[in-house]
Amino acid sequence: MTRALCLVAAIAFVFSVLRADACRAQTLTGAVSSAEEGAMEGVLVSAQQTGSPIVVSVVSDDKGRFHFPGGRLAPGHYTLRVRAVGYDLAGPPAIDIGTTPADVAIRLRKTSDLAAQLTNTEWLMSMPGTADDKRPLIECMSCHSFERIVRSTYTADEFVPVLERMAQYANNSIPARVQPRVARRDVNDASVHKLAAYLATVNLSRAHDRGSEGWNYELQTLLRPKGRATRVVITEYELPRATIAPHDVRTDALGHVWYSNFVENELGELDPKTGANRDYPIPVLKPGFPTGSLDLEADAEGNLWLALMFQSGLARFDMKTKTFRIFPVDSGLNDDAMQLSMVMPRSAGVDGEVWTNDVARQSIMRLDLASGKYQRIDPFSLLPTGRLHAPYGMAADAENNLYFMDFADQNIGRVDAKTATTTIYPTPTAKSRPRRCMLDEHGRLWFTEFAANKLAMFDIKAEKFKEWDVPTPYTYPYDVFSDPNGEFWSGGMASDRVLRFDPRSGRSVEYLLPRPTNIRRVFVDTSTKPVTFWAGNNHGAEIVRLEPLD
Amino acid sequence: MTVTRAGLYLALCLTSALAGLAPACAGGVNFGDDNDNNTDQGPYFFGFVRDDTGSAVPDAKVTATVKAGGALVTRSNGMGVYKIPGFGKNVDPDSIDISCAKDGYKQDTVLRRPHAAGDNADPVEVECTLKKE
Repeated sequence: MTRALCLVAAIAFVFSVLRADACRAQTLTGAVSSAEEGAMEGVLVSAQQTGSPIVVSVVSDDKGRFHFPGGRLAPGHYTLRVRAVGYDLAGPPAIDIGTTPADVAIRLRKTSDLAAQLTNTEWLMSMPGTADDKRPLIECMSCHSFERIVRSTYTADEFVPVLERMAQYANNSIPARVQPRVARRDVNDASVHKLAAYLATVNLSRAHDRGSEGWNYELQTLLRPKGRATRVVITEYELPRATIAPHDVRTDALGHVWYSNFVENELGELDPKTGANRDYPIPVLKPGFPTGSLDLEADAEGNLWLALMFQSGLARFDMKTKTFRIFPVDSGLNDDAMQLSMVMPRSAGVDGEVWTNDVARQSIMRLDLASGKYQRIDPFSLLPTGRLHAPYGMAADAENNLYFMDFADQNIGRVDAKTATTTIYPTPTAKSRPRRCMLDEHGRLWFTEFAANKLAMFDIKAEKFKEWDVPTPYTYPYDVFSDPNGEFWSGGMASDRVLRFDPRSGRSVEYLLPRPTNIRRVFVDTSTKPVTFWAGNNHGAEIVRLEPLD
Repeated sequence: MTVTRAGLYLALCLTSALAGLAPACAGGVNFGDDNDNNTDQGPYFFGFVRDDTGSAVPDAKVTATVKAGGALVTRSNGMGVYKIPGFGKNVDPDSIDISCAKDGYKQDTVLRRPHAAGDNADPVEVECTLKKE
């Protein structure tokens, strides 16, 4: 009897395995070519099943061959997409994947609209003008791509009111939802007129006079991926609304992805297995003010904290009960301009204090958890008052001393947890605008020098900097993650590329992403081998997973 | 001006030029992040870090500590020269102490040269000497 039962169980097991195989994805392979180049390396091929929010992409190798790993594409009807600057997909536009491996020949043709394919980095490479002329444009890409600017026909005079209007929009605005500020900002007339005059030289305002339909400068493009940069699988998870603006992203122990939504008052959770998205509404503290949150940091208990931007408070999300506790800024400190963009709760267990900031007043804030009261600290009180500062990216050491980035200037700072006094460390590179950071267990503070196009490290014990140039100009790295293998991972708002950099060898790999991808906070899941990179597409309402194959 | 001081000014000028510290056009809020509005600035601090043989000590940590609390930290360059941008003019230069440090050394002397009190355009020169341990 026992033997018979075992036999039945064994047969059932074999059938279940076979059935699972039949349902599981089959391999899709193929080759990419064009009349101009023949077999093409570095072409991103993307497949999306009808009705699915998940898009899987691979990259063709030096023989033009591509290969989707087994288990990624279930049988069904798939739309195909490519990314290869200068080319469009000629065919086929779609493919049916059955239960047997499929091989497809993908043909590309020269594009008739190269401008539609350029990244912000490529626009900056293409535009005439000095580095100082172009530098103000890095503010524009917080909300939209440069294509919107260069396709416009505004004259310099017409640009002035446009720029003045833009200055009154909150940082957490995207083309899908513009959010005006409540507190009006003063605008510097001279800088507006200077920028307006420059923009009118790079857009289409003079095309008619020239008798031309295009730009009076050649459009420059970056090279397609080669070699190691083609050995990658990229998965995009489309989110259900265009107004979801994922900003900071991190995974939990179950493999779920949590993200702050820069535009809507929601915390997002994504199940990468199914692509299902769930929103957790954050109470609105200041009706009529811009909504959305920034930053997403875990405290020692694993609960998630968000900075509520113009809603002026902090939110703690209990990961067990899935509920929020909100810490509004008390009315004595709160005003219409208040903007809390960062939160650092990691070492709050030491003294019951959570760090945050107020961008509008260039100050550090500290929340006392017991009383719910905030304290304002001016970290720049010793410096000349005429300079702009902006406490931004934050990290706390084991004693809850704060390290922060001075994003408007060229410093990092340390605020002593006990005395609240500040030590300022100017970066070796001037006008660097340090942005986001992470502190590792060895006391190394990794950060980006956004405006200097550099990655950097500050050893908090030795009080010493190291800097590394990012290989592609105008990348403007937003954030960096140092993984346990000693490699850096970075991305930004301009190049649609994820940078992997080994500081020991100086070798770098830049993985091109399938779509325009405005990257903010980057996160690396170190529990996988190789590691897995995650980021949000802030303007594209999607979460991006990048799996290097080596 | 002594030859040594002239050499120090030259080294500082070279350093500033190489570091891209030359003044740029003033910008403003929102469009342009040029950040050179230093009208409220007190005098900057500068000088050599040397060892007890008189040789320049590069990559030494130089700390400007304000007596009331707070500090600014920089490093000497390859020629042993450091420069600390000015604090706000509300900070009394005489309330700022300069110290220097490097692994394998201990601080020996700190020599502060005369400075015109109240003249924010006159930088404060402080030479720091380290001794091998």
